[in-house]
Amino acid sequence: MAIETQGGWRWRTAPSHPHSVFLLCWFLGGVLLAFIAIPLIALAGYSAANLAEVARMADVRAAILLSLEAAFLSATFAALIGVPLAYVLARSSFPGKGAVAALIDLPLAVPHTVAGIGLLMVFGRHGPLGEPLHALVGIKFWGTIAGIVVAMMFVSAPYTVNAARMGFEAVDPRLEKIARTLGLGPWRTFMRISLPLAWRGIMTGITLTYARSISEFGAVVILVYYPMTAPVKIYELFLRIGLDQAAGAAVLLLIVSLSLFVLLRYLAHQRETIRENR
Amino acid sequence: MTSPETTARAITVEGLSLSIRDFHLSGIDFALSGGEILVILGPNGSGKSLTLETIAGFHRPAAGRVLIGGRDVTQLAPERRNVAFMVQNFGLFPHLTVRQNVAVGLRKRRASPERHAAALPHGDVAGLLDYFDITQLAQRAPHSLSAGEKQRVALARALAAEPDLFLFDEPFSALDAHTRDQLREELASFLRRLSIPAIFVTHDHTDAMVLADRIIVLRGGITVQAGSVQEVFYKPANVFVARFIGVENILAGRIAGSCEALSTVAIGERMLRAAGPQVASGAYVQVGVRAEAVSIHSVGSASAPGVNRFVARVTEVRILGPLATVQIDCGFPLKAYVLAQQARDLELIPGRTVEAEIAPASVRLMFD
Repeated sequence: MAIETQGGWRWRTAPSHPHSVFLLCWFLGGVLLAFIAIPLIALAGYSAANLAEVARMADVRAAILLSLEAAFLSATFAALIGVPLAYVLARSSFPGKGAVAALIDLPLAVPHTVAGIGLLMVFGRHGPLGEPLHALVGIKFWGTIAGIVVAMMFVSAPYTVNAARMGFEAVDPRLEKIARTLGLGPWRTFMRISLPLAWRGIMTGITLTYARSISEFGAVVILVYYPMTAPVKIYELFLRIGLDQAAGAAVLLLIVSLSLFVLLRYLAHQRETIRENR
Repeated sequence: MTSPETTARAITVEGLSLSIRDFHLSGIDFALSGGEILVILGPNGSGKSLTLETIAGFHRPAAGRVLIGGRDVTQLAPERRNVAFMVQNFGLFPHLTVRQNVAVGLRKRRASPERHAAALPHGDVAGLLDYFDITQLAQRAPHSLSAGEKQRVALARALAAEPDLFLFDEPFSALDAHTRDQLREELASFLRRLSIPAIFVTHDHTDAMVLADRIIVLRGGITVQAGSVQEVFYKPANVFVARFIGVENILAGRIAGSCEALSTVAIGERMLRAAGPQVASGAYVQVGVRAEAVSIHSVGSASAPGVNRFVARVTEVRILGPLATVQIDCGFPLKAYVLAQQARDLELIPGRTVEAEIAPASVRLMFD
């Protein structure tokens, strides 16, 4: 017994040479962590001086607010039309399902300036959607927040669909079956069982879509140069005035979007924790 | 068309068939009265879970009907069939407390005096929690419960919806042997108190032995055998069923002769007599003998020469608590169960010569 226990212990914690493996992993991982952290720290240090000055600039503040607003709308619409698709992809099989999944992933692979040009052709002044929508409903996608939202959603909606799909796939289908036999119809089963159980995945997706929307530059700049979102404003400051002001605005945007990102993640996690402790 | 007999039955399944991709389930037929338990036995991929899910309403059958309480539910959605569905690990909703789980399907509309002969509470979560002795768990999350507690919560939740039929899809398959035995006993005593029929799907023949009134053995979507527990366990229809329900001795032989109600089978050099209908001489057969049907005696202890009494040599003895398995060689290998005390009294050790006896009625002839 003692030998077995010892064998079990050795196997669990030390499959081979643990220290060399872990050291190597930590070293390589550390390179990545430094690669991400150092530029951000350098940026913060460089621009700390003119942060206050930039924050007082009305156009910078307006750009950041516009980014937040547009990203909020983009994440909301992506959730409204992306979560149902995620459920369908998670729960049914149909011919062409692979193609649908690939199409969802496509915006992640397309250069965002290319996406912007594509969107401009469709939602632009003479585009097949832009023109009739303007004529019939009065929505303009050029020079408006509507265009910004469209550009943001195009490049960031896949995050919501994919994360929500994984969230739904992790829900045991038998729980849904049990709910049905307990007298809940398909709609109530979805609202009371599937949706709450996939909640963490959905929230992760929405958070990622939101973060990706705020940071989007390429597609937005082509479809809607004015009014300027924060990334466009930063680019404009960089070209027109110089690095100092651009870096200041960049850090301001970073602080705002990071704190929102952390808050969203915290809220999503909080809900999960409450549920688990209940 | 509904005959008087089918309306009297609590559940009737007639000629149920369906195809899903390249799997075909065909001609499932049975009827259960209130309180009866049917166990559907079969290996993985035999279609037993599919049968259960079709009865629950998750697949539309290509042919056949399902009647629950005389009501044809074949075209109804699962939520309108009034069945309780229990799965592996009991399927409690992880985001709801025990109380919320029980309340999900709660119905207050029906008071059916004759259905709940066991005076079960209905329409009331507190009453159900109390009945299953889980009141103290009401605010707990499912993941913090033991398997036994989960089973009771799942049963309370199922009863809250006042089902007309219980469906169990291998609820014990992820449990250790000890817990499994315990929960099986608990479930059996619970179901015996109800007048609600149940269908229990499993690949474990012990589940069938303990729970079943009747058994259906499925293989590849086809019913291989249907009957009472006694029939299936002691008269397996073929070698597949015999192996599946754990018949310990399956021997190849050939019919040497047949007269009256006794056939003689040649197994190697030995002749074994089997009770049953006459069979043509020369036919090849498989012979099934349950280990508990083989009795072991000391040499010369019999007062009169018996049928199927062979001199045998003990090759292996294993004491398993109060029982012992004895492997003997009497011209062909046989496994026998004896009481551990008997094994000691007979001084059964490898190499010892004994006499083995098998009642002809316990010898089962199978032709495929």
